[in-house]
Amino acid sequence: MNDMRLEQAVTSEEIKIAARDVQVFYGDTHAIKDVGIDILDKTVTAFIGPSGCGKSTFLRTLNRMNDTIDVCRVEGSITLDGEDIYDKRVDPVQLRARVGMVFQKPNPFPKSIYDNVAYGPKIHGLTRSKAELDEIVESSLRKAALWNEVKDRLHAPGTGLSGGQQQRLCIARAVATSPEVLLMDEPCSALDPIATAQVEELIDELRAQFSVVIVTHSMQQAARVSQRTAFFHLGNLVEFGETSQIFTNPTDPRTESYITGRIG
Amino acid sequence: MTDLSTNANAGQPKASLLAADARTMRRNKAEARFRAYGLGAVIVALLALAMLLISIFGNGLSAFTQTRVHLPVTIAEAIVDKKGTRDPEVMKKVTTIGYGKLIKAAMVDLIAKEGIVIEGLSDKDAEAIISKEAAATLRDEVLANPDLIGQTVTFDLLANGRIDGYFKGRVSMESAELDSNVSPAQLHLADALKDKGYLSKTFNLDFITAPDASDQRPEAAGLGVAILGSVYMMLVVLLLAPPIGVAASIYLEEFAPKNKFTDLIEVNIANLAAVPSIVFGILGLAIFINFAGLPQSAPIVGGLVLTLMTLPRVIIPARAALKAVPPSIRDAALGVGASKMQSVFHHVLPLAAPGILTGLIIGLAQALGETAPLLLIGMVAFVREYPGAPFDGLFDPASALPVQVYNWTQRADPAFVERASGAIIVLLAFLVVMNTLAIILRRRFERRW
Repeated sequence: MNDMRLEQAVTSEEIKIAARDVQVFYGDTHAIKDVGIDILDKTVTAFIGPSGCGKSTFLRTLNRMNDTIDVCRVEGSITLDGEDIYDKRVDPVQLRARVGMVFQKPNPFPKSIYDNVAYGPKIHGLTRSKAELDEIVESSLRKAALWNEVKDRLHAPGTGLSGGQQQRLCIARAVATSPEVLLMDEPCSALDPIATAQVEELIDELRAQFSVVIVTHSMQQAARVSQRTAFFHLGNLVEFGETSQIFTNPTDPRTESYITGRIG
Repeated sequence: MTDLSTNANAGQPKASLLAADARTMRRNKAEARFRAYGLGAVIVALLALAMLLISIFGNGLSAFTQTRVHLPVTIAEAIVDKKGTRDPEVMKKVTTIGYGKLIKAAMVDLIAKEGIVIEGLSDKDAEAIISKEAAATLRDEVLANPDLIGQTVTFDLLANGRIDGYFKGRVSMESAELDSNVSPAQLHLADALKDKGYLSKTFNLDFITAPDASDQRPEAAGLGVAILGSVYMMLVVLLLAPPIGVAASIYLEEFAPKNKFTDLIEVNIANLAAVPSIVFGILGLAIFINFAGLPQSAPIVGGLVLTLMTLPRVIIPARAALKAVPPSIRDAALGVGASKMQSVFHHVLPLAAPGILTGLIIGLAQALGETAPLLLIGMVAFVREYPGAPFDGLFDPASALPVQVYNWTQRADPAFVERASGAIIVLLAFLVVMNTLAIILRRRFERRW
């Protein structure tokens, strides 16, 4: 716990995503209960909690990835810049272009590195020329700290990279569509410590441009990268606040038990 | 694990690693037995395959060669064009009986010229070593080329099936004694002609290109109409089954809601794959011929019936291939804002393509070899006219390769055994070509992930 850096301060007060009274059901199972949370712009928000507490489920409601599961039902309101994302008029495809996602397991497309990054801009029609596309690919790979490693083999398959490189490629792919919010579902769980450190450093840099929400099992990681932390337990949002406050002075006894390793 | 095993063996003396204990030996024996069973099964299968191939190739390869008589025939104007008009319309009035006389005369002349003397050989017998098909061949040649009239031209004419059988070992002097269709004298004549170079066994392209022939002239029977019919049917199946089958499997696997109705469809597709193919023949007869009024024996009807039969066999493996694509790929596509359709067509389908193609080729291969449904829609008919060019030709009567095999095995003349086996070789060659194509396509589409 000595490597925790708790000095990071929240720099923005602008609310990007606001969730109120969110309930999520899987068939008859009540997976998320009464969750209300404000995700700030240009801030890293970490969701922590024991396995099965609903933090990944809640993350997936933020860009409606839950829509792909038939039995899943969401109630309550989630707004992005004040607009309800569960409104009937919202096309989830447009929403996901603005709220990008990086998954637990690196999942590059079985295509070249270049095509992986260029896919999003291509389908959203973000570029008018090949030169512009090249530029987006380069800048996205630079943002994901991968450019120097792959610039000589952009047309090699993305699946041929190492695990850490693949995850950074997925981040570059998510960044390429210029989302406003980046959701990360345990992005480092399949990575070794060095790759993890690289990704964490990256998250800190991405904060300058996006709002980042990261789900993590590792409390050290939450403490290292986030400014705000939410603790979930059994589908409830137990405590949400500044990371430094959550880790040093939790108000709820359950949070304290989890942080000190007594539940989880 | 080490803790666990030492605990379990606590109190017992430590067993040596150098001697296997009873339990290990039993397990090793069981494994050895299982390997022996497996190896035995493979060997039995290989032996069966080898026997099949040996019997088919042993019987069938000779169909690709044919005995021909190189006969100098004088085309007498007095017979083929009495009025000397050289007008094909007028000359058409002379039937093959007239041309038969030319061949008989030519044969008698040849025997006299070469000084061949065979006891008990009548002129009629001498003529009979030439196929009954030869007169028609001669007539076609002359009608196509009236300049030949009055000249003596050497024609390569088919030998009679029994004579051909003699040179392929099917007929012997002893069997000829008992056979009313051929006499030993004719065989002696054939031998004599062979010695003088008037008779030889040559490659038989007609077997691939010629139409079927009647029971009495196996030597002229070919696969031309059957191959065309099969190719046309495959064309219909290829145009209909892949798009319908792949579209149905994509819809059912990726888009359809999971409810009672789609469950019902799923069960039905699985059951359809197990429906005997002859039932599809009855269905085709009822729907396409009796109800829709399409012609009998037409490749279009055959193709439609085979398409119906192939669809479930395409859909089931295609759905399995789509299901096998890792969901993380779909998540990744949706995560960057692709629509459902983009995620399916850009990412899921290319990954499932090898599996879909395999199912498709197996389905097509089965359709190519299917006989039963075709019998019911009239493709078993004796067809000597080639169907026209596509797409009008799809409505002309035609035969099909497997039906032709079935047909030939029904006929009395032993020469048709060789023909049927030869047709099977052609069918197998088609299948090998299709499978090779499948392997090449798979290699091209296969990707790692």
